[in-house]
This record gives sequence, C-alpha cells and structure tokens, in this order.
Amino acid sequence: MAELRRRGPMTAVICSDAFLNLARTQARVFGVPDMPLIVIPHPLGGIAMAEIKSRAERALPQLLDLIRNFAR
Amino acid sequence: MSELTHLLGDPGVSFTAEDDFQALNDLFLERGWGDGLPIIPPNLRRVERMLEYCDRPWNQPIGLIPPRWGETTPWRLAANAVMAGCRPEYFPLVMLAIEAMCVEAFNLYGVQTTTHLCAPLLIVNGPVARELNINAGHNAFGPGRQSNSTIGRAIRLALVNIGGAVPGTGDMATFGSPAKFSYCIAENEQASPWEPLHVERGFPADASTVTVVGAEAPHNVNDHESTTAEGILRMIAATSAIPGSNDIAYSGEPVIAFSPEHAATVVAGGYSKADAKRYLWEHAWIPLGHFSEENIERRMRVKYPERLGNAGPDARVPVVQKPEDFLLVVVGGAGKHSAFIPTFGATRSVTLALRHHDGRFVGSVQELRRA
Repeated sequence: MAELRRRGPMTAVICSDAFLNLARTQARVFGVPDMPLIVIPHPLGGIAMAEIKSRAERALPQLLDLIRNFAR
Repeated sequence: MSELTHLLGDPGVSFTAEDDFQALNDLFLERGWGDGLPIIPPNLRRVERMLEYCDRPWNQPIGLIPPRWGETTPWRLAANAVMAGCRPEYFPLVMLAIEAMCVEAFNLYGVQTTTHLCAPLLIVNGPVARELNINAGHNAFGPGRQSNSTIGRAIRLALVNIGGAVPGTGDMATFGSPAKFSYCIAENEQASPWEPLHVERGFPADASTVTVVGAEAPHNVNDHESTTAEGILRMIAATSAIPGSNDIAYSGEPVIAFSPEHAATVVAGGYSKADAKRYLWEHAWIPLGHFSEENIERRMRVKYPERLGNAGPDARVPVVQKPEDFLLVVVGGAGKHSAFIPTFGATRSVTLALRHHDGRFVGSVQELRRA
C-alpha cells in the first residue's frame, strides 16, 4: 500500500480505532506518514450485519472526502 | 578506538550516563526499553564482551524485525542480550534465533502484531544445547536456568527494542502471555526414543539448531492411566481438539511435547515418530457441530469449502491438515504428562543450524569465539 501511495494513485487504509496507533506507526515506518486512514469503530470481527453496515456508513463520508481532495 | 566505539559514533545510537544501576533502570523503564523487569545496563564493555562470540562483522544486518522493521545488527542485538543477562557464549544462539524468525515463512510481522497471544518458542537441538546447559528436563519451560531464561528474554527484548513490539502500539495482543518474557527449551535428546527434531528435519545429529515456533504457552495432558501407545496418543489427540484454536482457523503446525515416559510408552507400542503423527492426525478432530453456527458459516465452510461446504454437524474437522503438521519433540523430566502447544496458526516453524562461514556445522560455541 505504501508503494502504491508513492506511485501516485488514490490510496487509503481502513482501520478500526483500536488499531489507529499501529496504523500511524506503520505509515511512518514505511515512509508514507501522510497515508490517509479511514477509521471505523472497533471491532471488525464478530459483528452482525447491521453493525457492518453502520461501519460502512462511517467509512463512506471519509472515502468521499478522500476522493474530493484527490480530485482537487 | 575499538570497532564498537566506531559504530557508536553515529548520532542517536548511544548516550552517556552515570553508571548508576537504579537511575539507568528508571530511564530504560521510562522510555519503554524492555519488558518491565530490571535490566543489566548495556555499557560499552559489556556489549564488547558479548560480541566476543560473534564471528561476523558487528554491523552486518541479520534481518529486519517488524513492525518497526528495525535493522538487527549483531551489536544492537548484543546490547539486548546484555540487558537480558545473557552470558556471551549464548550469543550465537540469540543471533541464530533472530535469523530464523526473519525467514518469511515464520511470518514475524503477524506473530509480533497479532491480537493472538503467541510468542516465539525456541527449541534448541544438538551438542550446543548441552554445552550451554539449556534445560531439557524437569521444568524445562519454567524458570531455573540462566540459559533458558536469558536467551528467551534477549529475544523478547530485541523484539520490543529493535522490532517495536510495544504493547498497544506494535504488539496488539489482546492478552499476551507469560511466554513473552522468555520461551526457550532444549529437546531432551538423551531421553528421547525417537530421532531428535533437527535430525528429522535433515540435519546431522552433531549439528546444533534452533527451531522457532510462533506458539501459545504449553497446555498439559495428564495421563497416568494409559499403558498403551494408543491410549497415550488418543488422550493427546483429544486434548488438542479445541474449537477456539488458531491452528484450525489458519492451518497451523502445533507442537506436541512428549514427556520421556509418555514417549517410551508410545515407542514400546511400535510407533515411529511418523507413525505417532499419523495416529494423532487420524484421531485429533472436532465434530463440526461443536463450532458455533456463525463460525461454521463464516469461517469453516469458507476456509474448507471442499470438505465442509455442505457438511453436517457430525463432519470431522481435523486439528491439522496433514500428519506432518504435528511437530513432535521430547521434553521434560519424570512424570506422566505431555504438553499440547497450539500456535498462531498463520506461521510455520523454521529450523536453522549454527554454521561457520564456509557452511560447516559448529560443534561448539567456542569455535565462534574471536581470537
């Protein structure tokens, strides 16, 4: 993903909030500290379909922002 | 100027401080450099002594430890071995274990960062295990020997200090495990009726090896009653059949640590190591109905579509995918116990041998000492 970002296409990593520290650290380690992170509430595993949908709803506006900013 | 002084000349790799044990320990704890236990301050003299048993350039990279992908050079590793309390002659095994963990199949990134509670288990085989007095007998997995305790601890300190396995930031284990402090044993080759692990894996008996396994802590199998090979093996197989196992979820390679007494009973029944693995594989299974409906639908049918795609509740879910996936060793002292050691699952054990530069096997760590 870091390599993709360096090459220029729109990139983002979806991560749950409990893993935000790890995601930020990894972005820094891989030399892409500005890697966009789409943050959803933890957990991701062991949840019902309604909760999965609610996470998608949290992710969607962040994704739209990303697309708008990328298009500018 | 020594070789090490030269290496330490780079900015940020060393600092000057008063030689005050408590003050330095407070500083290390405050910066998160360690495991929470007191450390031996890694000063220049101690690190140089550790490196007496390093036969390669002190700045030659051994590997990159994730998730920080910290470059592991002998001198950086030596600082951690000093902190852990290692004797210098242990250092070749510490380097070898790190090298083994950096082999791709081990998936050190996964082992380091997973929410699962695994830790690298080191199994040492060959003459060097005896030379360094690594415990293979009573309480082998527990405390008591400087070699077991500090070699395993040096690995943990390197994983934290070089690799960045800091709880909550790099090490995301939900629980962690006491095995993360230190997890190093030798196989009890003298008491084993089978060929030892390194010979099984193609090394000569007089080679010395380290096998690394991304493992949970041992789980006991008490069997004071069975007098036959089949009895012992059936009890071990049944104990390994746990639905919440990562080995089932990710097709892993769990360890069975036979006590010498259990191994003797199994061999008396005519079982080679391969025979014992086959028997375990045939008898270690879980009825699909023991998993929750969600696990059956979301994982088991998806992971094993051909076997379980349309299977009913009585279908057999094997603990391992093939007999060879059980890793068998003989460990421990007297007693009618064996141990089942599940793993992270998404990891394969890796065995490397201590060798000279020209490929010859090392017979004694003294051969690696610098003149």
